Amino acid sequence: MDAEERGLFAKSLEHATARHTGAELDAALAELGWRDAFAADPRAAVATLFELQGATATTSGALDVVLADALGPGPASAPGPDGGVGVVLPALGASDPPGRVEGDRLVVRGLGTADLARRSGVLVVAPSADGAIGEPGGLVALVLDPADLDLRTVDGIDPRLGLVTVAADVARSSGTRLDGVAGGAPDWAAAVDAGRRALAHELVGASRAMLELARQHALERVQFGRPIAQFQAIRHKLAESLVAIEAADGALAAAWDDPSPTASAIAKAIAGRSARTVARHAQQVLAGIGFTTEHSLHLYVRRVLVLDRLLGGAGALTLELGDDLLAARSLPAMLPL
Amino acid sequence: MELSEFRAALDRWLDDNAADLAPGDDDRATLDAQMAHLSEVKRRAYDAGWMRWGWPERVGGLGGSNLLRAYLGEALTARNLVEPGIYSMTEVLAPTMIDYARPELAAEMVPRLLRGDETWCQGFSEPGTGSNLGSLACRATRTDDGWLVNGQKVWTSLAQYAERCVLLTRTGTPESAHRGITALFVDMDTPGITVRPIETMHGLAEFSEVFFDDVVVPFDRTLGEEGQGWAVAMDLLPYERSTALWHRGAYLYRHLEQFLADAPPGAVTPAAVGEVFQQLYAFRARSRATQRRLAAGEKLGAETSIDKILLATAEQAVFDLITDGLATDVLLGDDARSVRLRSEALYSRAATIYGGSSEIQRNIVARRLLDLGADR
Repeated sequence: MDAEERGLFAKSLEHATARHTGAELDAALAELGWRDAFAADPRAAVATLFELQGATATTSGALDVVLADALGPGPASAPGPDGGVGVVLPALGASDPPGRVEGDRLVVRGLGTADLARRSGVLVVAPSADGAIGEPGGLVALVLDPADLDLRTVDGIDPRLGLVTVAADVARSSGTRLDGVAGGAPDWAAAVDAGRRALAHELVGASRAMLELARQHALERVQFGRPIAQFQAIRHKLAESLVAIEAADGALAAAWDDPSPTASAIAKAIAGRSARTVARHAQQVLAGIGFTTEHSLHLYVRRVLVLDRLLGGAGALTLELGDDLLAARSLPAMLPL
Repeated sequence: MELSEFRAALDRWLDDNAADLAPGDDDRATLDAQMAHLSEVKRRAYDAGWMRWGWPERVGGLGGSNLLRAYLGEALTARNLVEPGIYSMTEVLAPTMIDYARPELAAEMVPRLLRGDETWCQGFSEPGTGSNLGSLACRATRTDDGWLVNGQKVWTSLAQYAERCVLLTRTGTPESAHRGITALFVDMDTPGITVRPIETMHGLAEFSEVFFDDVVVPFDRTLGEEGQGWAVAMDLLPYERSTALWHRGAYLYRHLEQFLADAPPGAVTPAAVGEVFQQLYAFRARSRATQRRLAAGEKLGAETSIDKILLATAEQAVFDLITDGLATDVLLGDDARSVRLRSEALYSRAATIYGGSSEIQRNIVARRLLDLGADR
């Protein structure tokens, strides 16, 4: 896409995310050809859509598309009546594949996006411990019928996100095996990286929305005869929020240029931590009104707490990075100019 | 010259000349020695052409984008051949001369700075003028012989070594604030200038007080027009927060990597190490985008305050980690390496103060980037 096409496409997506969420947003995305855009220019399509989803606190099955595409050519091209296959996510905070092959059984414990039940199939990635299928020690991807899974919608802290818990203990043979890019194992690491970048964009979008809500309030709210935006304590909280957001944004841009697992993990960790910083500052600046359900801040505060922990939370990713650096006793090559 | 070509050729040259360029322990022991070694490295790099790339031909450069300069400083710093603080003054002062000095003056002077023949300093802060630059009082009065300068500067980096000074003076009324400021290019050997180095907690007298008593500066040493000093300063500051910071980021990478090699097992938590690296990475990612915007011809402005905040935060985080993990060396060691590390750990305390404190940077972010209006 050239700059003009990207601009027009972004406008359409802005329109769609302003009006729809969940299954309706999936339908709108299908009509807009988001998948084609994703195939042609993944970076622009992911950045634009996920930042808008974050900014509007909406949700869709786009994360399934991103993950399925990274797993291999089979899943990505699998069409379905309701927008193709879904992908089972790891449990909250985890990044490991959500399935486990035990003899002739497939056991699944994980999470899914809101409309997983309506997908044409659900992809489960699992280590093949005993080599009963696939390479011993390798990964396999199986497509299951959503009807074979125990899917329960969770309300939790963010009911509007509509996450579902996924559980199954089924005969391995009830799944159809899908092969990854090289005809071998599915590329789970690539899927995790791609998912982390998408979620990081969503966190950045939500963070920018929270900052804008707090900024507007600071300009309008008058105390001691002047807008509270004139008080340095308030200004510095808002400035720190922007610094945190731009740190995440910069790391995310670098992660697209340098598609190493470390870069995507760092971007996700920084985006998660930044979003929580912004949530804290915005909540404080918005004070009483931001604590009510009359104001939309709470939607974002809820959202970022969950998004931070999908595919690895900031705390866990930071710990993992530190462990790796201490073990290697060196740093990854510096990001080149 | 493309960056990739420059990088490969420069790396080769640095490998081939490693022995000549590397500082010995003596070259680092004092600031005098560091300055002498820096001049030597700049001269060699200039004579081989490296120091000239990225600067316009009209000031003795070989042309090419600022990315070449960013990489040169990164490579010299990452290989521990120069200290970024004293090296990167060039990145701050040369662009100012190129933009605001008479073309002949810039053509005469800039090559001396690049070649390491001269050191320049930046006379901005005063005893009564820290964060509030618009309040400066060092007076320049018109006389038949030129400007007559009287007043005092402070925190002037490297003034005791400097042959020239980019000096901000008050030429309007005291109430004229930022409108009545004029920038001058002053020879430091002019009669009436007294320099007194300031002893600092990190042990290197990097800053000085500079006194001006009836110092005569020719009119043709005016940078820009009379009353344009504020614009000179505002255009200079983004340079201070772009390429110079990029070099400093490379210096922090080197320190963090060295720390990982030296740290005793269990000295620091993995979580602390991970977070410090993320902070440094975020700065580098941000600054990289800034270098590229500069290379694309964009004029840098208030958004570089974010770069400065990120760098200062990362710098203190790196040295907090080092101080924790190598506490015995940093706090009690009296060998040359420990003394150096202690000095650098202490210097990191200044990162949130110099070049506009982090609070001033946040004020700029609030006013200019978030459009929150004036703060009173």
